[in-house]
Amino acid sequence: MLANNNLKICHRLMWREFRFHKGCSILLVTALTLVSMLCTFSFAIGFMVRSGLKYSYQIQYGSTSHILYYGLNSVQAASVARHADVKETVRLKVLGLLSDDMLGYRNVKLAVADDGWAAATEAVPVSGRMPEADDEIAMDELTLQSLAIPRKEGAKVQLRWTPVDGGEERVDTFYLCGWWKSPMGYTETCAWVTPNAAGRLCPDAPDYLDLGVTLYRPRNLDRQAQEILREQGADKVPYTTNLAYNRARRQRMNEKAFPFYLMNIAVVVCGILMVYNIVRISTVQNARFYGRVKSLGMSPRQIGRFIVVQAAYLCLPAIPAGWLSGFVLYMVTAPYVLLGTGGEHPAFLFLNPAPFACSALLTWFTAFTACLLPARLVSGSRPAEAMKYTGLSAAIPAEDRSGAKKRRCRVPFMALYGIRRDKKKAVFAAASMCLSMTLLCGFWTQYISTDEEKYMREIAYCDYLIADASTANSLQRYNPASHSVTPELIEEIAGQKAVTAIGTVRTMEIPMYADEAGRAPIVESFEGENEEGVVRKAYMSGSPDWVSGYEKFRTTGEYIGIASGIDGLAESVILSEGEYVEGVYDAERFAAGNYVIAAGASETSFVSTPPIGSSVEIGGRQFKIMAAVSYKGHIITGADSREAAFNVSYYMPVQVFEELFPECGIRNVLVNIDHNSQKEFEEFLSKKIRDTGIAVKMRSDYQWEFGNALFHNYVIPIFVGAVLFLIGILNFANALVTGVLIRKKEMAVYESLGMTQLQLRRLLVGEGLMYGGMMTAFLVPAVSLMTWLWTGWWAVYSASAWCVTWKYSLLPMWIALPVLLVLVMVIPLGCLHMIRKESVTQRLQIVE
Amino acid sequence: MASINLPEQQKKGESDMDAIVKVTNLKKYYGNGEALVKALDGVDLEIERGKFTAIVGTSGSGKSTLLNMLGGLDVPSEGSVRIGNQELARLTAEQATIFRRKQIGFIFQNYNLVPVLTVWENIIFPISLDARKPDRKFIMEIVNLLGLESKLDSFPNQLSGGQQQRVAIARALATKPSIILADEPTGNLDSRTSDGVISLLRVTSEQFHQTIVMITHNPEIAAHADRVVHIEDGRIVADAS
Repeated sequence: MLANNNLKICHRLMWREFRFHKGCSILLVTALTLVSMLCTFSFAIGFMVRSGLKYSYQIQYGSTSHILYYGLNSVQAASVARHADVKETVRLKVLGLLSDDMLGYRNVKLAVADDGWAAATEAVPVSGRMPEADDEIAMDELTLQSLAIPRKEGAKVQLRWTPVDGGEERVDTFYLCGWWKSPMGYTETCAWVTPNAAGRLCPDAPDYLDLGVTLYRPRNLDRQAQEILREQGADKVPYTTNLAYNRARRQRMNEKAFPFYLMNIAVVVCGILMVYNIVRISTVQNARFYGRVKSLGMSPRQIGRFIVVQAAYLCLPAIPAGWLSGFVLYMVTAPYVLLGTGGEHPAFLFLNPAPFACSALLTWFTAFTACLLPARLVSGSRPAEAMKYTGLSAAIPAEDRSGAKKRRCRVPFMALYGIRRDKKKAVFAAASMCLSMTLLCGFWTQYISTDEEKYMREIAYCDYLIADASTANSLQRYNPASHSVTPELIEEIAGQKAVTAIGTVRTMEIPMYADEAGRAPIVESFEGENEEGVVRKAYMSGSPDWVSGYEKFRTTGEYIGIASGIDGLAESVILSEGEYVEGVYDAERFAAGNYVIAAGASETSFVSTPPIGSSVEIGGRQFKIMAAVSYKGHIITGADSREAAFNVSYYMPVQVFEELFPECGIRNVLVNIDHNSQKEFEEFLSKKIRDTGIAVKMRSDYQWEFGNALFHNYVIPIFVGAVLFLIGILNFANALVTGVLIRKKEMAVYESLGMTQLQLRRLLVGEGLMYGGMMTAFLVPAVSLMTWLWTGWWAVYSASAWCVTWKYSLLPMWIALPVLLVLVMVIPLGCLHMIRKESVTQRLQIVE
Repeated sequence: MASINLPEQQKKGESDMDAIVKVTNLKKYYGNGEALVKALDGVDLEIERGKFTAIVGTSGSGKSTLLNMLGGLDVPSEGSVRIGNQELARLTAEQATIFRRKQIGFIFQNYNLVPVLTVWENIIFPISLDARKPDRKFIMEIVNLLGLESKLDSFPNQLSGGQQQRVAIARALATKPSIILADEPTGNLDSRTSDGVISLLRVTSEQFHQTIVMITHNPEIAAHADRVVHIEDGRIVADAS
């Protein structure tokens, strides 16, 4: 009998409320659109950053497949493809490897054309097509450049390659039919031929193919790869797993994206406050409305449905509008946040429905919470109380209860009493302003504190870093036989008036051996724990080549040493200004040529070299290790071999190096200049190295990178902070408007009792100034303290602390406060002007 | 006024003399210590089925509080209220709400119409909450009786005070409640309109055999009722039929 079963009436009632109060509805929808926009933007940027990092790891790996198996036969491949965990597979029938020296560090496989594998490894021709005739071939642009083959359909391609079954190197001729731009980081790629061509080239080729596997649920890839093989009875088959799913790398992806996700908390809190403050204009009416419908029999469940429908009506237009505006913002800023996407717009490259779903959810949560709050005010009340709700505290402050004091009722006291009556309004507005102002001041402080000079000193050890042509790409393996940087060029550069210092670096990889005594300090260090209790070698778990090199060193003592000949500016940067882990650098003794300086890790908290004073043999000569210096990676460009991922560097004077390795070219040249002549020098240098293949990192490149990093790290948060601040101002203005509009009748009573217009204005301006004054008195210390604590911590302990000179600033607050003080006077007077359009008698009849 | 034939409110076996409302030792206190206000201080009252009862008292006598207790709009500090066979204190908030919309009709001094609903929608609002189909024939008869035929598509802000009060009366009647509670129904009306509203209530009580409890501070208005109960300082001081 007491069942409660009609919810449809709630929908009709809400629709009528929505239409009848259009102004308020539009305001609410606008507020929620802002929330939706900011959430869409920050989630999309966060997802893009994460996806971009994942993409870069996949590029390094060379495939989007989760696991790559090498050397399966077709039966095994088919069986793996049928495994329950396997979603899809792509196959690669490799005929052999191109063996031209000019290809350097890159592996180019001659393979049977496969659309699936091509798509997974971004090796689909975008100009021309896949081969159809037996003498056609499709290749990537980097390989064409390395082999000096023109990008033209029908161009003759003569390839030296070695068959995969270990046969003799051979030369075959093809004709180019298609090509594509390989992502810069790819170290492996394919050159495609037809199956018929494969049959002709390798008639007795073994049944041997590579298989790329995509799993339904990639978790622990190593374990999954081994399980799949074990079930095929093929444990010995070699495989690799995609770096993008490596745990350490996934953690890094999440860390990079996290700050953007975190911004959404501030967005939601400010959004709830803003929407609630708008709803509060009619809180009394809303509360009495709930009392009224309760008295007529609307049950709590029906009221709940009413609120849900109210939030839904607001979200229906707000969410799509927010999606659209958020996406536009995302599209505009994405290219500045994520670089290196090879001409493709990063906003579209990593577009994902997840940010839109998350934004919709948060916007809905904001709307629902804000709509729920007024109902909660009267949820515990009986209908009789709810129908009389005034929103003002009924309790009379203790000091006012005393009848002994007979005060004259003057306007300033009335103004103060008016503010004390509605404390909640003040608290909400203050909370919203405090949060948004702190964010804005904090981000502003961070922006101006990031020091370009410090950044340049740490990242750019010199103004110009000139690199040999074989190291133009960061993943190209350095070729010591390359002599693109000549002594004549160095002389010419050194002769420029702007040049204040110059130095060179030469390197040579050599297999070395460390006995037990030599190994001990290094192994002890990497097996030991740092201050946070983490085993040091765990930090390198994201680099399988380093792990494998270290294990080999630990068990056998064999490793790759990198002999480096340095002089001039290179010597001062690496040695004179170096941070020493152990030992002392003596320039004179070093110059004598019997000593080397060792460098392992770039940390100074542990030793990662053989002991000081021990001997090492390099190029048939014995050297004593004088000291161990922290490794400076930014001095050297290009990559070393995979085997040298774990290595120890040994620095020696360049004259000694040239005696040991006379054929070795110059890898890098370091140059410092007088910055006043930056423009002229860069023009000279650009002309000199044009068409030589030599790469140079210029001071202006570093400055651009700094600007970009600044934008990435701070400008976007400043923008979000500014929008939140705007929301805070709207909240504040809204609170002022509410304060007058809900007191129409009260103002009418004052006027009916003889209060003049001037006195009314003084009352409202007085209230406004007191309100503004109290707000300022709260905000200044609160924002100052919170900004000081936050940015102070950031300047010392954050990951960016190395390039920060803390410049505490509250400029946004000093700009905002006068604006607030103007608003507190203008808004109440404006509202008074509006309400006085109705006569006193009309306003007296209002049921508030 | 047109007369209407309506289904009998009375159930079989129940006589006119049966009490539809029974109040026992009802107390309602607000605040504590020095600020304690005794709005009701031990009220015992029985209201007969089908009668038009007026509760009279000066401002602050407790009459509105008593009405709120009868309608389950508030909870007593002590005592009990029984409507029919239902003890209101035993109901949860949700049950009380649903009981109210099925069994009790309210007429408020301030009308309390839903401003965004039309006259017709306001009249059938409690029925809609209950997911019941409105008895259109019955409701139209009430509408005709109250002279609201031409106003069914209007909104409350388009009506005069008297018209709004008539809509409130129609809404109270439409659900065929056990009891109608009217809180100063003429409080916001001029004397002529007040007379009209009281006459309607009188007719309603007779023709629909409707139990009506009306509170007022005006003895002249109270005189239209079958029984007048005087309340002062939260207690019943006189009871005249």
